Amino acid sequence: MTLQIQNLGRSVGQHWIVRHLNLHVEDGECVALVGPSGCGKSSTLRLIAGLDPVSEGEIILNEANVTHSSAAKRAVGMVFQSYALLPHLSVFANLELGLRVRGVRPFDRQQRIQAMLELVQLQDRANVLPAELSGGQRQRVALARALLRDPDVYLLDEPMSNLDAQLREELRPELRRLVLDRQKPVIHVTHDQHEAMAIADRIAVLHSGKIQQVATPEDLYHHPETLFIAKFIGRPQINCLRPKNGVICAVRPESLFFAKEGLPCKITAREWLGSSQLLYLDSPEGFLRLSCSTAVDIPEAPHVSWDVSDEHHFALESGHRLP
Amino acid sequence: MNRRFLIALLLLWSLGPLLWQVYTSFCSDQALIQPFVSNDHRWTLIHYQNVLNANPPFWRYLINSLIVGATSTFLCLVLALPAAYALNRIPRQLSVLTRLALVGAALFPYVLLFLALLELARALNLGNQLLALSLPYAALSQPLAILLLNSAFNDLPPELEDAAKLEGLSLFQRFRWILIPLISPATASTAILVFLFSWNEYPIALTWISDSNKLTLPVAMARIAGSSIYSVPYGAYAAATVLGSIPLVLLVLIFQKPIVSGLTSGAVKG
Repeated sequence: MTLQIQNLGRSVGQHWIVRHLNLHVEDGECVALVGPSGCGKSSTLRLIAGLDPVSEGEIILNEANVTHSSAAKRAVGMVFQSYALLPHLSVFANLELGLRVRGVRPFDRQQRIQAMLELVQLQDRANVLPAELSGGQRQRVALARALLRDPDVYLLDEPMSNLDAQLREELRPELRRLVLDRQKPVIHVTHDQHEAMAIADRIAVLHSGKIQQVATPEDLYHHPETLFIAKFIGRPQINCLRPKNGVICAVRPESLFFAKEGLPCKITAREWLGSSQLLYLDSPEGFLRLSCSTAVDIPEAPHVSWDVSDEHHFALESGHRLP
Repeated sequence: MNRRFLIALLLLWSLGPLLWQVYTSFCSDQALIQPFVSNDHRWTLIHYQNVLNANPPFWRYLINSLIVGATSTFLCLVLALPAAYALNRIPRQLSVLTRLALVGAALFPYVLLFLALLELARALNLGNQLLALSLPYAALSQPLAILLLNSAFNDLPPELEDAAKLEGLSLFQRFRWILIPLISPATASTAILVFLFSWNEYPIALTWISDSNKLTLPVAMARIAGSSIYSVPYGAYAAATVLGSIPLVLLVLIFQKPIVSGLTSGAVKG
């Protein structure tokens, strides 16, 4: 069972929301869609789910062309950013609705929902309304609803964005246990690149409705194909030196180090981040960020340097990576 | 202090006439004419007895109005709910135009229509039929009902319906299990407004119905008020007013919470 997206596009009037999208997601593989707000991440998920009409291209799921099938016929399990739980129904009734519509018998419904509630550890919350649940519990109910569908593909639309950072970190292993281990294709939309790197096997970076690069998190970080990706992936942001001869040289903040000789600079600000520190530097090459351990002593008249192998080069005009 | 005084003034302003009607309905005619003269027979139920024992009895008008109100409200909501939902699904420009047309229709003084409606009633033989009154009432309430319900549908997060689509719910099932229950406060407040309109409506009821057994409340009350050219039956009229208000007061008291939440839905975010 694989998900294949070929040259997918959606336009509203004259404006293309997403275009020329090509993506292949294998069974048990999780692909994260990342990109700035409004780049078309959620629109792509809606196209795959069948919630919006496709203007061009094809969606092939399990070797069947589902491009123009209705949402109900696609066997898609989707978790929404807002969880989309029905506020007037109990947790049990929320989970039961889909099964009832699909004609599952009452006894079987009861059994399957009980088993699912145990799986998501909410067996004692079956009869409460969603408003009485915590954010994490609501997310698990939304996941349970998607799992009960037993879908061919899982679509997760920023499922953890409403949770605080600590809870997000705690729920990551749970998300892996519940969804990623099911050996189905998973597309996970997130604006949190740490989450994408932690969960996804591959990351697709979207910009202005187009996929710029699909690669493993490691590859994306070390070999970004465009300046946009280099800037978007990795925090603190990559340093871009002044362009020379139509070429921009970029260096990651952790690749910079203090040296006896190198670029003279002045420290303008320092952020203490626990295990590391982030220094803001003013240099003849422009504004720079340097990330290093808190154990590093900061010289009085600092000079910074980096290995040539850590440099990334991009064409000034197109933003594409140069060899 | 100032605030309390203002609230008391406001209460007096709005409740004063009502309380005066209640007082009048229980006062003997003598006490009404000379309110400050001491009177052993000031309080009486005679006006209520007269009104309820008249031919036809007053409760018949109440029942007539209840029947017309209930059927008008039902008919109006059955038509307005899908229309209000559809208004969000049609192309944006068409939706804006339709909304503008609806606002125009809602603001149109319906009194200007009653002669034309009378002609229709004549042509279609709808005169003197109680249930036929529901047709103009439901139609005239339609624009406001659609606009109110449409704003309630607008306030619902679209993901709820999307999630239901993915679960396989058909349009009717989504309407039945998700949309209708979620907009019930707005539906209740709209229903009350439609019911109030049909309960109070006078010109159409006056011109369509002449059979005294089929009169609605406003027309019947006008008949009581104008029953004699020599005197004004204040007591009977007040008793009729009080009796006619009771169903409305009960309705509003029972549905107070949904009415308030329905009318203010969408006013603030969250």
